[in-house]
Amino acid sequence: MLCNASVTSRVNGQVASGPRGRAGTEIMSYRDALHWTMQDALQRHDSVLILGQGVDDHKGIFGSTTGLSQAFGADRVMDTPLAEEGMTGVAIGAALNGLYPIQTHIRADFSLLAMNQIINLAAKYKYMFGGRFDVPMLIRMIVGRSWGQGAQHSQSLQSLFAHIPGLQIVMPSSSQSILDTYPAVIDHYRGPVISFEHRLMYDLQFYVAPQSTQQETEPFGSRLVRPGEEVTIVATSIMVLEAMRAAEHLALVSDIQCEVIDLHCVSSPDWDLVMHSVEKTGRLVVADTSWREYGVCAEVCRVVAERNPGCLKAPVVTLGMQPAPCPTAKCLEDLFYPDLRQLVDALAVLVTGKEIHGLPLPDTQSMADVYKRFKGPF
Amino acid sequence: MENSQKFCELFFQALRIRLVEERIIELYPSDGIQSPVHLSIGQEAVAVGACRNLKKTDLVFCTYRSHAFYLAKGGNLPEMFAELYGKVAGCARGKAGSMHLAAPEVGLMGASAVVASTIPHAVGAALAAKRLGHDQVVVGVFGDGATEEGVYHESLNFAVLHRLPVVFLCENNGLAVHSSQKSRQGYNILEHARSYGLPVYQIAEGYDFVKVADTMSGITQHVRLTREPVFVEIRTYRYKEHVGPGEDFMCGYRKTEEWLAWKQQDPLEQYVNLAETFRPAILKEIDKAVHFAMSSPFPSVEELLRDVV
Repeated sequence: MLCNASVTSRVNGQVASGPRGRAGTEIMSYRDALHWTMQDALQRHDSVLILGQGVDDHKGIFGSTTGLSQAFGADRVMDTPLAEEGMTGVAIGAALNGLYPIQTHIRADFSLLAMNQIINLAAKYKYMFGGRFDVPMLIRMIVGRSWGQGAQHSQSLQSLFAHIPGLQIVMPSSSQSILDTYPAVIDHYRGPVISFEHRLMYDLQFYVAPQSTQQETEPFGSRLVRPGEEVTIVATSIMVLEAMRAAEHLALVSDIQCEVIDLHCVSSPDWDLVMHSVEKTGRLVVADTSWREYGVCAEVCRVVAERNPGCLKAPVVTLGMQPAPCPTAKCLEDLFYPDLRQLVDALAVLVTGKEIHGLPLPDTQSMADVYKRFKGPF
Repeated sequence: MENSQKFCELFFQALRIRLVEERIIELYPSDGIQSPVHLSIGQEAVAVGACRNLKKTDLVFCTYRSHAFYLAKGGNLPEMFAELYGKVAGCARGKAGSMHLAAPEVGLMGASAVVASTIPHAVGAALAAKRLGHDQVVVGVFGDGATEEGVYHESLNFAVLHRLPVVFLCENNGLAVHSSQKSRQGYNILEHARSYGLPVYQIAEGYDFVKVADTMSGITQHVRLTREPVFVEIRTYRYKEHVGPGEDFMCGYRKTEEWLAWKQQDPLEQYVNLAETFRPAILKEIDKAVHFAMSSPFPSVEELLRDVV
């Protein structure tokens, strides 16, 4: 679905700018959007089963499943043993026999214990058996960040899964994105979907379209979230918000208009949308939540290089995590992730063609400080 | 016994599976079947005995060694041969080969080449059956090697915890590729399974399809009525090499005497006259199935990217 969004950045205030499908007038947090879609799925489909470690406890996967086990029963919102591979296999078996499982990993890192079931089984059941089976299921993986999440609570593993044919990988970047994606996937898509939810966005408030105007949307593909002329920013997840902040800063201090594309479905992006934009602007910045090597950044560059490398007026710039495991000390962690200042500077250098461009940069501020309004432990 | 209808029916089914696989052995050198084959020869009685009392709506999840279960559950023979030949008329349109046979129309829910990986699928299917109020019994078939995998234990725990209508069927041929069970396991499979808190059974005479069928009949009935899990270990013997059409007794990892002793008990080896009675009809059926496979078209180019998502 293509849509324009013109929104005001109020990340430091109450409402974050982000991609919006339609003119949003109601406000809903990322967490509440998740909770709403979980409740909605349970209400509308008797076949829906939510399973994961702690889905029924008082914290309810950071509030996204709170109270649902009490409301719908422990057999529909089910706490599980600490058995990631086994429970993913159980979800596959349940899907093969009529249920729609929604599995949660409170940290995406834990899904690595289930790689066999996800990659060898769920991704292949349809193809390997000649289309005889469908495995409709949603796996929610939460990407942690800040407060010392460290090496094993912070990984953003989208490229690992997007590499595998048979899986659809989405990265909702706003409350509206969740409302647009989850119900459509649960209602209509018959294969395994993995969604990477960014923990830092849970507390953010977004504008969303009023319930009465919610429409059926295409859950996959990419979204044009800000039109611009000078440079294309292709971003994922929370980096879409950073891209919007950078774009709005540059619009305030210069004539530079950035076009921002939320890649959204990294397994099957709308490449025509990306190419059309890059061909128009001639400049490309890719901002991903993970490592750049062999990841989304590399993949976007591959497609541009294959389709129309001649459209680029300058080399591509990519932003992602530093090539190391995530450190815990905040001073190191702040260096590990790209910040707004780096992004704005990269955009300004790219568009002006000058290392010393003279445009004012925003105050260096760690993204975690901007987005996080909670403190650990959690 | 050998004259009873039950014996004759089971004998026929087991013989049919053996003759199918013997035909695969005959055809294999021609390279028409370009797929690794893990033959069930020697283990047919487990499959025909276990499936005898299952309904079409009951579900079976298998391993890569599943020709026997595919046929015993009612899978279509011409489609199986077409699958082995990589033809679009195969049960998986030529994308599965020997290791991933499936026939959902009769409850054969697929086979995986990764040891133990379908055990939790049986548990999950049983969870769905319980939630949706079906009277299905679900059977997860796996070998002794699978009990060494973590997911086996995760599956047992979950099935017992939620009292799910699943039969854990350990088809124990004592070998993981070429490694003996005692070189791999520091536990007793049955005792270990029992510690999870479910009823366990052992059938030592895995060649005796009547005994397997009778015991499995009681177990299936129990699971259907109580909606609770059961574990059963059936001892059996693999006559052929781990993968491929040959024998490998000359390789030294096991003794020919074991095989000969097992064959002494194997009704398909012992009741030669009965086998001769059934053989012509079965061979005719196999001829037709092979002809169907060989004369069917290969998948077209469009098949390559069909059914990915």
